[in-house]
Amino acid sequence: MTELNIRLTRHVPDDELHAYLDQALSRSQCVEIETHLAVCARCSDNRDAHAAMRDRTTALLATLTPRALIIPPPYASLEERRIGLPHFSRLQRSLRRSAKWAAGIMVAIGAGWAGRSIFDPPRAPEAIAATVADTLEADKVSIKAIPLATVAPQLATVSPAPDFVPSDRPVPERRTRRSSVRSVTGQRPEAAIMPAPMLQLVSSVLPTRESLDQPAPAPRLETVSSFERIWRRVSWEEALKIAGSGLPFIEGMPVIGVLLQPGSGGERPTVIVAQQDGTGEVIQSIEGPVAKVFDLLQRQSAPDVFASAASRTPPDYVEEHGVTRRGIRILMVTGRLTVDSLNALAKVATIR
Amino acid sequence: MDDLERLYTTHYAAVVRFLYRKIWDADRAEDLAQEVFIRAMAHRPEKPRAWIFAVAANLARDEARAAIRRKKHLTLLKDDPVPLSTPDASADETVERDERWAQVSGALATLTDRDRDVLLLWDGGLSYPEIAAQTGLAVGAVGTTLARARKRLIEAYDRTEYTADAARS
Repeated sequence: MTELNIRLTRHVPDDELHAYLDQALSRSQCVEIETHLAVCARCSDNRDAHAAMRDRTTALLATLTPRALIIPPPYASLEERRIGLPHFSRLQRSLRRSAKWAAGIMVAIGAGWAGRSIFDPPRAPEAIAATVADTLEADKVSIKAIPLATVAPQLATVSPAPDFVPSDRPVPERRTRRSSVRSVTGQRPEAAIMPAPMLQLVSSVLPTRESLDQPAPAPRLETVSSFERIWRRVSWEEALKIAGSGLPFIEGMPVIGVLLQPGSGGERPTVIVAQQDGTGEVIQSIEGPVAKVFDLLQRQSAPDVFASAASRTPPDYVEEHGVTRRGIRILMVTGRLTVDSLNALAKVATIR
Repeated sequence: MDDLERLYTTHYAAVVRFLYRKIWDADRAEDLAQEVFIRAMAHRPEKPRAWIFAVAANLARDEARAAIRRKKHLTLLKDDPVPLSTPDASADETVERDERWAQVSGALATLTDRDRDVLLLWDGGLSYPEIAAQTGLAVGAVGTTLARARKRLIEAYDRTEYTADAARS
């Protein structure tokens, strides 16, 4: 078999095909591959597939661009910035000097620490406790409770947890040996020892525990009242009949109202379903064409009402001028909750 | 117009894109790209194109480390929703573009560091020998790595698209 025949029968591997498509091969290699491609249908098909893959990769990466148009600032402005900046080598020298200083300080601290641990080994906890007790006795520390409000007014409003029982004996402040020695010889202010308050984490946006006992607030649907003439307030059953299978619904929350706006030209209606969570907060799920949902959100005037991220719902297929247009629809959940909570609700919302 | 100025005009956008795909911050990517060219002015490298991308990769790595130190998440790839742009007449396109952005960047994140570097350098316009010099690969291995990276990117993208379609239906 001649060398030419060997070249013709050897199939082109994938990496060589990619290099060929990227024009990264020498002229002679290109000629060799092209000769083979001319007679080998399998490699020719493979080349087409890899070319398509290459083009698709380029197209996908093209979507990851920060801006549609990237315009470089004038070159002269870079020159000006370069002159204004300290010279790189000078910067490097100053950094190196700082690093040497820092290293010196660290070595000194390390040596001191090592020396202390050698000449003054740590004592047993029992011995430290005895020293502390002796010191308290010697100082005749008067321990008395002082009102929390005088120490930390901002914490005074925080009530302790219901199961909190204050201890009869205050816990002495933990001291090091050094501080106890100083306290014996010098003047020391009266110790104020008090139990630390147990903080209850209460979100500022969530209702308080007391508000749970109050009757649930009326649903806040007034934000769309300006659309009353085109929006219809309907019952859940009626909405199911009209909207068919397009009603957003969060499981486990009672529905307190449904607003519905008929779609135009074959679109499904835009729907707002108001539900009430366990704390009485009203959650509104809005499902409809993108533009309408955004329009509604823009009209939301209350500053403490947030919206979840948009999630896609089944699209509309609208006939327009003899062609079918695909209209994207989204679902967003709004309410006086954190965005994270609303996102979580949007994830569990289902379309009925 | 000297060589570096010409390179600046022709490659500035490519360097910004390269940096953006590593740090996912458009403004910071532009700042760093200008920093790269300012350094090139001071150093006057022999092979400026390869040098510029090498410095850009180093700056992006430093930026990523700094961002981790600041406890900032670099990408919005996980479960975080991509913030939607201001609604306008083309709100449909905006949603689709944002969704596609998330899918492609998610697919890119599934690649290994080496595959991703090679792919981004190739997309930045570097030749095989320049990619090889920067990544430490043999020139012959660049084609293999690129073939694998392209295939994996497309497979990962198709997978996310399939998942998104299934979730919608």
